[in-house]
Amino acid sequence: MDMYAIRTLRSQPLRLVLTVGGVALCIVLMFFLLAVYRGVADGSVDYIRYNRADLWVLQSNATNILRGSSFVSADQGDQISRMPDVNSVSSVLLLLATIRKGDKVRTVFLTGYEPGNGLGGPPRLAAGRPVAGDDEIVLDRSFAAKYRFRLGDVVDIQDRHLRVVGISGGTNAFVIQYAFVTLRLARSLVGFPGLATCFLVKVKAGADSGRVAVRIKEDHPGLGAYSQDDFLENNIREMKSGFLPLMYTVAAIGAVVLTVILSLLLSVNILERRKDFAVLKTLGSPMPFLWGLVVKQALLIAAGAVLTALAFFFPLARLIERLSPEVSTKSSIGQVAAVIAVVGVMSLASSLLSIRRLRRIYYLEVFS
Amino acid sequence: MSEALLRKPVVCLENVSKIFGSNERATAAVRGVNLQAYPGELILLLGPSGSGKTTLLTLMAGLSQPTAGRTRLFGKFIDDYSPRDLQTLRARRVGFVFQTFLLLDSLTAKENVAMVLRFNGHTEQEGRRRAMALLERFEVGHLADKFPRTMSQGEKQRVAIARALANDAELIIADEPTGSLETRQGLEIIRLLHGQAKDGKTCVIVASHDLRLAEFSDRIFRLEDGRLRVMESGEACAALKIGQGRDSLKGT
Repeated sequence: MDMYAIRTLRSQPLRLVLTVGGVALCIVLMFFLLAVYRGVADGSVDYIRYNRADLWVLQSNATNILRGSSFVSADQGDQISRMPDVNSVSSVLLLLATIRKGDKVRTVFLTGYEPGNGLGGPPRLAAGRPVAGDDEIVLDRSFAAKYRFRLGDVVDIQDRHLRVVGISGGTNAFVIQYAFVTLRLARSLVGFPGLATCFLVKVKAGADSGRVAVRIKEDHPGLGAYSQDDFLENNIREMKSGFLPLMYTVAAIGAVVLTVILSLLLSVNILERRKDFAVLKTLGSPMPFLWGLVVKQALLIAAGAVLTALAFFFPLARLIERLSPEVSTKSSIGQVAAVIAVVGVMSLASSLLSIRRLRRIYYLEVFS
Repeated sequence: MSEALLRKPVVCLENVSKIFGSNERATAAVRGVNLQAYPGELILLLGPSGSGKTTLLTLMAGLSQPTAGRTRLFGKFIDDYSPRDLQTLRARRVGFVFQTFLLLDSLTAKENVAMVLRFNGHTEQEGRRRAMALLERFEVGHLADKFPRTMSQGEKQRVAIARALANDAELIIADEPTGSLETRQGLEIIRLLHGQAKDGKTCVIVASHDLRLAEFSDRIFRLEDGRLRVMESGEACAALKIGQGRDSLKGT
């Protein structure tokens, strides 16, 4: 009877193709949302993940750098650097800045850091080198690709002319991209020489960073200090709170549309084949056998749609990334497995919705 | 008294009525019917359209409950069966033959027959083997892998009869089995049903307009406005115009 499920579907090829296509589109949407989410998640927090400070020190109440403002002073940094067990303190200044090149005007998340110790700089370089002087800048790869900035180009921020010396990866936060300059330049752009957003603190070998954090907070009640893991977690949570609700909403809509399309097809199949089902009931088919037919059809369509979606998704994602480089996607086997699991559950849900129609098919329908 | 009558009845209707609708819209499809059907006999139900033949068949197959009276199927009152018991009963002991054959057009002849065997626990392989044997028996083995749309009406009905017998049915309910067939094909189907009844284990109940069936029937009943009336030999002969000397026509 598996053949019955297959042949019934195949008997209406256009309908089958449209259904599989519709379900596949929903699955592509889910794949894409997960891939974008992964890309955004990594792009948003890779900066923190790869800058492995022992402590991140910000203005108290500022728990992250994605959606909070923090102002700390160079004096505070100097005082922290003189604390016992503290090895180094690197200041980082983050600000939104407008980059111009000719008639192109774009906004970046400009990150001023101290190139000498490397902390606070780009997580990785796709091309070129880090900034060495105040007239240089490193741009995010997707930002550079989208606006066609190349190594050696000169861009303007305020009245400064900066040469692009590096292209960075892991610095695309989807809605905005990081760019890197020296701390001195960033401060001069703001106009406050001693200003910083946060300090990246390295403790001495063998020192207890937790104890240092407590000490910083005791000595500087206006500051908060977070371990690398806590600070990363804070930023991930912040990123999720801003992005996940949207993603879940769109993914849920996709899943609902998938269920509706599938249950519509299954219901139409049942109605068109109601005489078959009436015959099967009359001949003594157990109800689970009939339910099984509907479930098998749902799973067959879902399997076809998953394969179709997989065939189309990866080329499509590459195409989108090429057309819109700021859309950064990352996929994993886990994501694919998660989507397949959701599709499986929704297929079962759609069969349950359709199975109800079987109850309204009566034996007497077989007698002419 | 026929030897068949000495056996336990397969179906027993006791003053059975079936009324559709209620109050002033109530219509009695079957009224006060008493009937016992035994293994080894072929019972013919004659009657014009709307006389209640199909309703009576559904009552005898346990597909519907009487409004009044009681139905016994295989010795047990129908009310005493759970819906699941009735489903199992149909899967294992009852076979159906329909006017329009009602083969599943997505399945081959062999798959149509084998399907019924799946309902009573046969493996797919067993089902296919037995289905093939049945198709051979009814001389449609060469059509085993053909789909119903490629078969003649007579071939379809032979496959349908093979399907009805797949579970070694003790009761075969046939609703106008020759209604869609040409004369020659109809006669072949009648002979097949008759042959099945004559094995002594199966009771075949046929509702039909086809008067030729009378020649092969053990008992003939006429339904008029829901009331069942036994047709005597002479009456049947006159009605059927099929000549004299058929000792198979038996009234009760």
